[in-house]
Amino acid sequence: MNFDLSEEQQLLQDSVARFIEDNYALETRQHLVASDLGFSEPYWQTMADLGWLGINVPEAHGGIGGNQSDTMVLMQALGQGLVLEPIFASAILGTRAIVDGANEDTCTRLLPSLVSGERRLSVAYAEEQARFDLDDVVTRITPQDDGYRISGRKSMVFHAQGSDYLVVSGRSYGGQTDRDGITLLLVDAASEGVRMTSFPTVDGLRASEIEFEDVFVPKAHLLGAEGGGYSLLESIAIDGILALSAEAVGAMEVLYKDTVSYTQEREQFDHPLSDFQVLQHRMVDMFMEYEQCKSLLYRATLEVVQRGHAALKTVHALKYMVGKVGTFIGENAVQLHGGMGVTEELRVGHYFKRLLVIDAQFGNSDYHLAKFAD
Amino acid sequence: MDIDLSPADIAFQSDVRAFLAENAHKPGEDYAAWRLNWFKLAGEKGGWDIPKWPVEFGGPGWTPTQHYIWEKETASAQTPWDLPFGLSMLAPVLMNYGNAEQQQRFLPDIRERKVNWCQGYSEPNAGSDLANLKTKATLSEDGTHYTVTGTKIWTTLAHIADWIFCLTRTSDSGKKQEGITFLLIPMKQEGIEVKPIITLGGAHSVNMVHLTDVRVPVENRVGEEGKGWTYAKGLLAHERTGLAGISRSLVALENLRKQAATVQRGNGTLLDEPGYRAKLAELEVDLLAAEYTELRSLASAANGSEPGPESSILKLKGTEIQQRIQKLTVEAGGIYSAAWGQSSAGHKFARGGMTGYLSSRAYTIYGGASEVQKDVVAKNVLGLRKS
Repeated sequence: MNFDLSEEQQLLQDSVARFIEDNYALETRQHLVASDLGFSEPYWQTMADLGWLGINVPEAHGGIGGNQSDTMVLMQALGQGLVLEPIFASAILGTRAIVDGANEDTCTRLLPSLVSGERRLSVAYAEEQARFDLDDVVTRITPQDDGYRISGRKSMVFHAQGSDYLVVSGRSYGGQTDRDGITLLLVDAASEGVRMTSFPTVDGLRASEIEFEDVFVPKAHLLGAEGGGYSLLESIAIDGILALSAEAVGAMEVLYKDTVSYTQEREQFDHPLSDFQVLQHRMVDMFMEYEQCKSLLYRATLEVVQRGHAALKTVHALKYMVGKVGTFIGENAVQLHGGMGVTEELRVGHYFKRLLVIDAQFGNSDYHLAKFAD
Repeated sequence: MDIDLSPADIAFQSDVRAFLAENAHKPGEDYAAWRLNWFKLAGEKGGWDIPKWPVEFGGPGWTPTQHYIWEKETASAQTPWDLPFGLSMLAPVLMNYGNAEQQQRFLPDIRERKVNWCQGYSEPNAGSDLANLKTKATLSEDGTHYTVTGTKIWTTLAHIADWIFCLTRTSDSGKKQEGITFLLIPMKQEGIEVKPIITLGGAHSVNMVHLTDVRVPVENRVGEEGKGWTYAKGLLAHERTGLAGISRSLVALENLRKQAATVQRGNGTLLDEPGYRAKLAELEVDLLAAEYTELRSLASAANGSEPGPESSILKLKGTEIQQRIQKLTVEAGGIYSAAWGQSSAGHKFARGGMTGYLSSRAYTIYGGASEVQKDVVAKNVLGLRKS
């Protein structure tokens, strides 16, 4: 048994830490949040040059050929920096859809340009009536001779703005919540009939509502099997949950450690706050919950690497715990920072916001607890 | 023990309801004019514009039950916005410790909502430990004025306030609590600089206020020099009772139920999901109890006792309940709660859900952090000593 990082993973972790140290001061980050794009193109290029965008891409297509445990190392380190670039949308979710779902020709054409940072992807899976259910799909896909037509509305698509392609789930046949009949297509974002409204999210990222009006998609852009796309969608979601959870664990570490240092510096009643036992115990609780989350993150990640979809129950357990603990650690980090904690000036609040949004992405903690119990 | 409404209470309740219904804001009506007129009309009812003021200052002299009825009815009705700083925080201090000249000078403007006040208490190094404040007030040799220099923080609405009531330090000898003096200072003058602090919800309501050599006539001192802490302590108790917001939480919970009922789940709604349903129920149970805790506190206040330690319990419970309602609103909104500002995405109620929740995190910090409130209860109620 061994939970140590491999030499490559250690190097990856160090390179992310160095990048954040050099580039991600809070002020710089907030400046990017306020920009039109919401992140930095030069940083995106640096991330490509460092090989991070190819973490999931097979070596044959120019990537690193890593598995979910490598992604975990990357995302955990990125979570410590509250990084804005669309690695999650494009290099984790989007890439999984292509690697597992696209035909050889599309892989050869598209993957190298994703690894090089030249192109970006995002995945449009959510629909308003579906809440968190991936299999509740009413967006309509109709076949025609040389391809498909897609019509409907996709919701809260993270980082769609500035994406070259959208991976879209739609229904070819079956009832609204049938798993059978769901199809995934790779849609050129510049296609006629695609209308996008973009807006910022609470954590400073970008999301879009996207309308598809009879949009044409060539046959070669079918991902997975026609009507059999649910299993690919589930793979994307599993990778997504693992990656978000890793990012969350990285953010939690910053929050509990910032709280420990702040309470040692801040004096009230002629003592550092950290002298007060009630606050010490609170911080011990934050630390314990963080460690528990990290353990479950390792467990779920390693189980998925070994057993794929059969590890789904542990993935539900993980997302439940990440939501619950993220809220607990975030609320207490803010509380123990007092008034300063509720301002935009300290970084704790920004990490807390990210944890809140992570809880709402791919199903919140109630949702996953219910799935786990099923 | 008896909580049935007497015939007189029932008559009062219908009177209040009628007043609120008659004077609700009508579409298109000028808001500012309506607001001032509302308070004027409420005043004509016999002090309804200043429910908590004592009779000798024009208050209605209501029984605890009448206060409760008023709170309940106004929580769900459309009433004009109002600020607690002058009305509920400064006014009691002036009534108890101000001189007649100060009462005549300030109370009528507060009552008519003509003058906005803000509260100059916290400082960068005096938060939970408020007595640690350092803003210096030096009396001139001829005894006519103070010169005030220092920094106040978390000053709500300082940017629209006309006046600030300030705790200042006039002496460093003796205990920290001694040597604090209560001063009233006009905001619009040289030497006062207001800097916004943006909070997590993205809002600007609190500020940092820098005072540099601000001249304050000695007539603007409330009570004696060095006794400000005693005056402020009574006032903090008033602030804490006001922060519990039980009646508003009851209305908020009702709204939350309506919102959750619009979130479709299969053939039902979010209200049919066992996890969510249980959390709503727990919240409701706590509110049922908190409403009576508030009533008990009101009843004891009616016996003439100052709001005491039980006001700490109310603030603790009340703010925690407010935060839980906000959290459940975020959960009901699902992913749409993550949309910032006025996006067109998803359920209408979800917009701003997360920012509301983030703002609510301050409820357990301001007006005395929950940890400090619990210290107060441990010491004053349970009689526990610190090691």
